[in-house]
Amino acid sequence: MDCGTCDSADPVQMVKPEVIDVNLTISDMAKNMLADAFGDDRSHALLVGVLSGGCSGYMYDLQIVESTDQDCQELSVDGFRVLVPKASSHLLDGIEIDYVEKLMGGGFKINNPNADSSCGCGESFS
Amino acid sequence: MPILPAVVGSLFPEVTSLPIAALLDASLTLWRGKDVLQFIDGLSTNKVTELQSGQLIRTIFTDSNAKIIDCVTLFHMGEFIVTAGHFPFLEKLLKHTSRRILGQDVSITDITQLNELFIEFDCTNDCADIGAFSSEGENTRGNISGNMSLIVSSKGNGPSNLENFEIFNQWRIDNKIPWHGYEITNSFHPFACGLEELVHQQKGCYIGQEILARMHSRGKQGKLLSQVDTLTCKPSSITTMGETQSLAIIRC
Repeated sequence: MDCGTCDSADPVQMVKPEVIDVNLTISDMAKNMLADAFGDDRSHALLVGVLSGGCSGYMYDLQIVESTDQDCQELSVDGFRVLVPKASSHLLDGIEIDYVEKLMGGGFKINNPNADSSCGCGESFS
Repeated sequence: MPILPAVVGSLFPEVTSLPIAALLDASLTLWRGKDVLQFIDGLSTNKVTELQSGQLIRTIFTDSNAKIIDCVTLFHMGEFIVTAGHFPFLEKLLKHTSRRILGQDVSITDITQLNELFIEFDCTNDCADIGAFSSEGENTRGNISGNMSLIVSSKGNGPSNLENFEIFNQWRIDNKIPWHGYEITNSFHPFACGLEELVHQQKGCYIGQEILARMHSRGKQGKLLSQVDTLTCKPSSITTMGETQSLAIIRC
């Protein structure tokens, strides 16, 4: 097998989506839950990202982080530091971060105007 | 790349005398990056995250209707993954995957033009050797099933004494084996092609998973790969034509 280790093969051109300035909102319920999670220490940030996979092709990735090696936009939303990876910005502009209570356990939910469809659990969208 | 013990003494047919056909419409791509296996796992039917260096696995990329985009064989080469698929489906596969890479560490190189692919068939590979591959010089031979091995050779270094592809097709008909561009196409889902073993039932979500899981749990798979009588079967249903017997994907 010739794996092109002498750089004789060209990389496939990836689709590079346009990086856009993200606007997002956080619902009152989600703010309360985030305030509980962060406590008084606001040095950490909420990372809102997107990974490939899931039933619909993209999955939300929410993490509380001190820092990240991803190239991110940093926003300040209602006193919270929010990091949005630039590579996913086109998928996350205009989202609302919400929190829903359910009998089977609550959780954060993303309302995304860019999503054509999402799977039943709400974690995946396309 | 690690050298595993050769499966049958040598990679090539001078020893084994097994039939080999050239796969003229195969594709070969090289995938680099620490997130490659996780990325492919999130978009295809088989569980590939546990693949180790020196092993291969087959998996299927499906669309939101669970129709096949491409069925590929992944070779874990240690530093990277090499993916063998069907060249006519490569553009669609790359479009499907590349726009989902986002911030993940994944890059893809098309190395099809540097290599030739062959299928060795009518083998009797030991169960323990299925999913293993070995390399010798410019050639890599991997056992993709109990009776087929995939050979990847750098351009001009492949095996000689090749069989006509029609011989391979007749063998496929006799053994009810689906193939790329015949049964394995965007018209069908993996179950219809008889590729159940490539659909992992316990892995996490991927595009098309809900439909395949529902088919599996309800036992309703619609059309199925079947051996049919060439003369009596409706010609439009036939996917691989043989003289007396053919393969067709029909409602059973």
